[in-house]
Amino acid sequence: FVPRRGGMGESWQPADAAAIPLLPPNTTSWIPSLEAQDILYPGALCRKLRTGKSAATLDFTKQLGHFFVDHPEDAFGSMGQLLHQNFFLGNSKLKVSARNSTIRMTALMEEIDRLEARRGCPRQRLVPRLRWFSHLCRDWLFEVPLGLLAECVHEELLLQWANLLFDDSCTGGALAWLPPKDLCTGCLVYPGGRSMNHLYFQDVVLKELPRVQASPAQFELNGRIRQVAAARVDGEDFVGVRSDYHCGVWRVPGRIGAAPTPLQVIRTDVPASCLTVSPHLPGELAVCTQSGAIYLWSIEIGLQRLRHDTQTMFFRDHSSWRWSDFTAHPRVLSCADRTGLQCLDARAPERCHFDLFKVGQEANCQQGERVVLPMYLGRAHPSQHLVTTQFSLYVLDERLPMVPVLKWAHMMKAPPLFSHLTPGGPGRSHKVLLGASRTQELLLLQYRGKRRGLRGGSQSACQLAGSPQKLHSIAGCLPYLPTQLPHHHYLLQQRLGAPAAGLATALQEDGPQESLLVFQLSEAGDIFYQRLTHEAVEPPDPTLRDEAMPSPAVPSPAAALRYRRWLKEFCKGCREQRPHTWPPTFSQKRIFTRRELEIPAGPSTLHQRARQQLRQAMQEGGRIQCWDTLPSQPPLLQLLEPSGGLDPLSARLTAAWSESWCQWWEERSSYNVAQRQQALRERRRRQKRARGRHSLSASFTSSHTYQSELSELSDVPQLPPPPLSPTVLPRETASSPPPSPALDEALLSSQSLRCRGIPKERRKTLRDYLSVCAEGPPEPPEPLASQASQACIPSSQS
Amino acid sequence: SSYEHKLDFKKSKEACLSYIQDAMLQKQWKRAAEFLTYYIESLEKDFSRESVGPSEMIWRMGAEIFCHHSGSSVKEFNSFTEQMKTLGLKRYLKISLEHTFYLLCNGLIDEAYQNLSLAESWRFGEYSATQDEEKKLIQAYKGLLDYYSWCKQKNILLEHGQDGFEDLSVEQEMHNCFRKAAVSLQEIIKIPGVWDLFVKCYVDLLEFYGDHNEAHQVLNEYAYNSKFPANPNAHVYLYQFLKRHGEPKKSLISALKILHDIVPSHELMIEFNTMLQKSKKRKKRRLGLEVIFAALDYAGWKENLKAWSCLARQVKQIVISEKHLDWIKQEWNSRKDWWPAFHFSRYLAKRNWQENESLSYEKAVVAGILLGKDCKYFKYVSHQGCKAQVKRFRILKKFVNKHNPVCLRISG
Repeated sequence: FVPRRGGMGESWQPADAAAIPLLPPNTTSWIPSLEAQDILYPGALCRKLRTGKSAATLDFTKQLGHFFVDHPEDAFGSMGQLLHQNFFLGNSKLKVSARNSTIRMTALMEEIDRLEARRGCPRQRLVPRLRWFSHLCRDWLFEVPLGLLAECVHEELLLQWANLLFDDSCTGGALAWLPPKDLCTGCLVYPGGRSMNHLYFQDVVLKELPRVQASPAQFELNGRIRQVAAARVDGEDFVGVRSDYHCGVWRVPGRIGAAPTPLQVIRTDVPASCLTVSPHLPGELAVCTQSGAIYLWSIEIGLQRLRHDTQTMFFRDHSSWRWSDFTAHPRVLSCADRTGLQCLDARAPERCHFDLFKVGQEANCQQGERVVLPMYLGRAHPSQHLVTTQFSLYVLDERLPMVPVLKWAHMMKAPPLFSHLTPGGPGRSHKVLLGASRTQELLLLQYRGKRRGLRGGSQSACQLAGSPQKLHSIAGCLPYLPTQLPHHHYLLQQRLGAPAAGLATALQEDGPQESLLVFQLSEAGDIFYQRLTHEAVEPPDPTLRDEAMPSPAVPSPAAALRYRRWLKEFCKGCREQRPHTWPPTFSQKRIFTRRELEIPAGPSTLHQRARQQLRQAMQEGGRIQCWDTLPSQPPLLQLLEPSGGLDPLSARLTAAWSESWCQWWEERSSYNVAQRQQALRERRRRQKRARGRHSLSASFTSSHTYQSELSELSDVPQLPPPPLSPTVLPRETASSPPPSPALDEALLSSQSLRCRGIPKERRKTLRDYLSVCAEGPPEPPEPLASQASQACIPSSQS
Repeated sequence: SSYEHKLDFKKSKEACLSYIQDAMLQKQWKRAAEFLTYYIESLEKDFSRESVGPSEMIWRMGAEIFCHHSGSSVKEFNSFTEQMKTLGLKRYLKISLEHTFYLLCNGLIDEAYQNLSLAESWRFGEYSATQDEEKKLIQAYKGLLDYYSWCKQKNILLEHGQDGFEDLSVEQEMHNCFRKAAVSLQEIIKIPGVWDLFVKCYVDLLEFYGDHNEAHQVLNEYAYNSKFPANPNAHVYLYQFLKRHGEPKKSLISALKILHDIVPSHELMIEFNTMLQKSKKRKKRRLGLEVIFAALDYAGWKENLKAWSCLARQVKQIVISEKHLDWIKQEWNSRKDWWPAFHFSRYLAKRNWQENESLSYEKAVVAGILLGKDCKYFKYVSHQGCKAQVKRFRILKKFVNKHNPVCLRISG
C-alpha cells in the first residue's frame, strides 16, 4: 500500500534568508502599475469590506474629469478656439464694450474649485450657477459627443478594472533560462528598459554566487514584452518573444559565446495571448490570439491556422484568452481556453481532436473554477500535462484524457500564472515551481511519476512527494536591506512589491552538491534569485527533521554586499529621475492667458514679509504661527501658542485626519449649554484684558461655532466670571494692524494661489483651510464680539 | 458594535489561517499546530457560506500536520478524527477514509479494517444518504483489505500445500475473505469510473477460483462500456487476460487494435507489431507498418532501439522484395515534412552515434531508405561507421547505394 501523498520528498533547503538581486536595478524610471485606489470611488473599498458586497464602484466622474483636464485639445479643441474670445478668466472687471459678447468665468471656476474641495461632504449641494452652465453647454461644447465619450471612458474603466482583478496578459512569464552548454555558463533572457521593450540575453556564470558575465546582447522591440518562452531543440535554443501585437523568434546557436540571431517576426491584428516553442522540432512555435485563433508557426513554412473559434470550447465563458502548447506527438497541439483543453492534430485540425481536460465533474472541479495556465511536462514525462486553475493543480496524461492523474489544491492567494518544471532523473522527483503575479507567491512542489514501466498499472502511479514549500518573494528581502529614510523606504517598498512578471529555474550540479537557482523577474524589470540546496541524506533524528528549514536568519556577507550595491544603484536612479516623477500636471498656460500668468513686477510687501517669516521659522526650526505679525514681537507669539490640549481647529483637523470628522461636527453642534456659557464668560473676561491685541493667528482657529454660540447665547443671563485660568497670561501689546481683508481674499482666490506657484493639491488644502475663516461669521452681532473672535482662544477652553 | 466585532473576528480568522498556511508551507509543523489550536475558535461563529468551511479546513490542515509533526501519535490522530467526524457530518465518510489511509500508512491494517466496517455501517438520516459514492468507495476499500488478507491466507496455504498437509480452518477463512471481497468489489465496478486497482483484484480472485467467464465479462465490460471513461489500462488488462488464457491470435489482435486506436504510443505496440508481422495476411502486415510508424511519431519513442529495429527490418524487407512500396510511400507522405527534422537531423546523428551505436545503425537504415543516400543522417552515420571499421555499416552503405532508385521513388 503506497499512500498517494506521503512519501518523503527531496529536501531542498533555502540557502539564503531572502531573495538576492542578481542584476542592478532596471535603472530607468518605473511607473507603478495601476492600483485599485486609482479608479475606484474613494471609500468604496472600505464600504465594500463592510457590506461584504463585491460590486466595486468605479470612479467614473473623476476619470472623465481627468480626461478633460489632460487632453483639453481632444475634448474641446474646436469649440475652445471658437469661444476663446467669449470667455474671460481674469479677475478684473470686463470692459463695457466687451460685456455683450463675453462671460466672466472666474466665479464659475471658483465654484468648481470649491466643489472639488467639498468632495464627499454630505452637505454638498449643487451650485445653481454650475448647473445652469452645464445644462447650457452640454450638447455642443464637446468635440466628441459627451454620451459617446462617456461610453468609451466607461468601457475602458471596466477593462482596467478587470485587468486589475486578474491580468492574464503576462501568462507564461517573461523570463527564460537557457541551460549551460558547457559546464556552468547559462543564459538568462529577460525584458528590461523603461517600458520593458528591450530584450536582453545575459550570460550568467553559475558559481558559488551566480554572476553575470560580459554585457548582454540587447534588442529593442516596439512593444512591451509580455512573454518569453524558450526550448532547446537539437542543441540550439529557440526563444519566442510575445508582445501584444508582435511575436518574434530568436535562435541562440549551440556554440559557446555565439550571439543570438533574430529569425522572424509576425504581426497580429488582435493581441496575442500565447506563444510556446516546440521542444520537438527546430523553429516551430504555437501562437494564439485573443480572437480565438490558433496557429502553428514554422520558420520555414510560415503560419498555419489550426482553429478559429470565438466561442469557448465546453461552455460559455467571456474570456478571450487562449493558450496552446505542444504534446508528445510533434504534430498534435493542445489548445486551451478557460473552460478546458483539447488536443488538435495539425495535419487535420477539423477532424482529429480529442478532449484532454474539461472543467467539470470528471475532475471534480469547484464552481467557478477556470483554467489559468496549462503546461506540457514533456521533459519529465512525454505524455503528461500540467493544468492549473485558481484553486487547484492537475496533472493529466494524454493517454488517459479527462481524468486527472493528480489533483492538488494549491491554496495560493492569486492564480498561478507562471510555472517552471525541473525534471528529476530516474528515481528522483520532478520539481514544479508555481508563481503568482500580483502577490509574488512562489511554491515549490515535487511529484513523482514513473517513467514508462512495462507494466500496465504505471499510468496512474503519479504522486506528490513531500509537502509543498513556499519560497521567498522579492518583497521579502525588504527587512534585509539597510534602513532607509521613510520616503525612500516607501519607494523601495513599492518597487520591491511590484507584481512578478516571470520565473525561471536553473539546476546547478557542483560535484555531489546539487542546488536549484530560482530567478524571479518583477514588473519593474528587476531580477532576483534564490538558491535552494539539496540535502541528499535525511537527518536521522526525526525531531531534527521535523523542524527542518532553518532558513538562515541573516544574509551572507556576499549577499549583504549585493543588497547594498543594489540599493545604491536604486537610490541613484531615484535621484536622477526625480524631475520626471512629478505627478502629471497640466500646464497652466492652457488655462490662463499670458497676461494673467505674468509674475508681478516685484514681490509685494506681503510676499516679502511672508517669505521672511518662513525663512526665520525654518532657521529656528519652529512653526509658522501667523503671517501678519510684526517680526519684532516673537515673544508674544510664542506665548500665545497653546501649551496643552488642543485648540478647536487642531481638534477638528485631528478628527478629520482620523476620519471621524462628522462625529466631531455633531459633538460640536450639540455642545452643551453649560460649556458654551463657560466659553462665553471666559471670552468676555479676556476681552476686557486683552483689548486691542490683534493677531491674525485667530484666523487659524475656528471662529465659526463660536459665532453661532454667541448669537444663540446673547440672551443668557450673565454669570459671574470664573476664576482665571492659569494658562492664560494676558498681556497688553502694541496694536498691530487688523488682518487686511485683501489678504484673505487674495489668499482664497484659487487663481492667485496658482500664480503663487502653490501646487494644485496643496492649493486645495490651503483653500479649504482658509475658507473656514472666510465663510465663518457673516457679520458679528456686535463689534466687541468681532474683536473677541480675533483674539486667541486659550487651550483650556477646548 | 457587534457588526464591527464580527468584522474584526473575520479578519483575525483570516489572518490566523494565513499564518497556518505559511507555517505549513515552510514545514514548521509545530508552529502550524499552535496556530491551528487558535483557529479552532473560528468554529464558534461559522457564518461562512464558502465552499470550504472552517471545519473542513481544520480537518485538512490538521490531518496534514499530524502526518508530519514529530510529536504526533496514532492515538492522538484517532481522537482528532473522531472529533472531526462529529463536526463534519457532511464529510463523515471522507474523513473515515482519510483516517483509514493514515492507519494503513502506519501499518495498522486491522484497525483500518475495523474503521472501514464502522464507516460502512454508519447511518445518520439524510447525511448518510447524500454520501452514497463515498460509501461505495469505503466498501471497495474494505473489499481491497479483504483481498489482501485473502492473499495472505493463500500464501500460507501454498506454503503449507508444498509441505503436504492442508489446513482446513485457513482454507475456510480464505473462502470467507474471498466472498466478502468479491461482494464489495463487485459493487464499485458497476459505477462508471477508473477502477484499475479494484478490477485487477477482482479478476485475480475470479481467476483463482476458475471463474474465467465472469472475469472475461468483467474485463469486457470495463473496457467496452461506453459509460466508462476511455481507459487504455482496461484494454491492457483485457489483452493480458486473453493472452494468459491462450485465446486465439484474432481476439488478441482485435484487443490491441483498439488500444492502438486510443493510445498509439503504448508500450505494447511493439508486441502488436511483431504479432502483425508474423501474420500471413497482407492487410495485417500493412497495419503493422502503420503501427510502428505511428509509435515512432511520439517523442517518448525517439530513442527506442527496439522500435527502430522493427521498422528497419520491415522497411528493408519491403525494399528488397520491391512489393508494397506504396505502403511506405503512403506512410511517409504525411511525415516527410517533419520527420527529417525530428529524427534525422545532423545533430541527432552525432549524438546517437556517440551514445548508442546500434540505434544510430537502425535509424540510418531507415533514413537511407526513406530519404536516399544523400540524407544527412545516413551520410554522417555511415561515414563514421566505415571509419570505425564496423562491418554492418559498410554493408548498409552498399545496400542503400544498390537500392537508391527505389529509395528515390519513395521519397519523390
